[in-house]
Amino acid sequence: MNLLKPVKTGMITGLRLLMPSCREALRLQSDALERPLPPARRPGLWLHLLLCKWCRYYGQQIRFLRHAAHEHPDELTQAAPQKLSPEARERIKAELRRKH
Amino acid sequence: MEKDNAPASDPLPPGLSDPEQWVELHGDYLFKYALMRLRDPAKAEDAVQETFLAALKGGKTFAGRSAEKSWLVGILKNKIYDHYRKASRETSFTDLEFYSDEESERFVPDGLLKDGWIHELGPSEWSSPGASLDREVFWKTYRDCSDKLPKNVAAVFNLREVDGMESKEICALLQISESNLWVMLHRARMALRRCLDTHWFGKQAGAPGESTCKDSRRGPTNHHESTLSSDDP
Repeated sequence: MNLLKPVKTGMITGLRLLMPSCREALRLQSDALERPLPPARRPGLWLHLLLCKWCRYYGQQIRFLRHAAHEHPDELTQAAPQKLSPEARERIKAELRRKH
Repeated sequence: MEKDNAPASDPLPPGLSDPEQWVELHGDYLFKYALMRLRDPAKAEDAVQETFLAALKGGKTFAGRSAEKSWLVGILKNKIYDHYRKASRETSFTDLEFYSDEESERFVPDGLLKDGWIHELGPSEWSSPGASLDREVFWKTYRDCSDKLPKNVAAVFNLREVDGMESKEICALLQISESNLWVMLHRARMALRRCLDTHWFGKQAGAPGESTCKDSRRGPTNHHESTLSSDDP
């Protein structure tokens, strides 16, 4: 065990130099929805996603959020229970009559 | 085309209903639309009123190209953007209190694995997310989650993801830098994802939300192994 520990530490340190941390991988995946990532960041992120299923799920899920919001604007707006209050309704009608 | 000599009393073009009817026909829809974006009932009412008045003046711009409702929504959008523009002039639009990191406590704080997920706290797969889109309860959850976002962050997220506005336009509208915008979008996605994970997907899979028992979160409970990619655009 004592012999393996430095090997393991060395491997992890090596990988950490090659790829972003999970925290950075989240940010990079969000940024990737806004602009092409700088070429220097791509291989590291790719490697990270290959090895880390959590960050992979995270990326899928924020892309799902985009898809959901973009494809279903009415569900976001329409089904809200709020209605124009009767007072506002009357006020606006009166205003419309005045200007019409 | 109609003559321009009597702007106030010009007959409205055919295809438009009587302005007196607008409030009944479209008032609630426009109000909800504005409320979701402005998050303040009084401001939303004002925006609806301004929209109808502008529509009354600009009735001629309605050329029957679009349905009356979408024509009014177009005007309302501009009223909402005016509001954002004004808000961003008056205060800094970037919301510093939100810069505390939603997920902080889910990362290893130091050491060799610093900033990696604490294993049992990392995201788990969502089961058949596409199917949720057809369920009203899902959207109720989504709206509740979105309501928890700070106003400005929600505004930015809606402009970008619901209205599909380009980053550059949003930055110009709100007078913020692109890197500011990216941070806000990142935070919004992080918070929304986590909220839906806790209140919808986590519950669906049989896991009690925030409880992070390894077995219930990643065990055989995710038996619908639907792949998300098939639902992605």
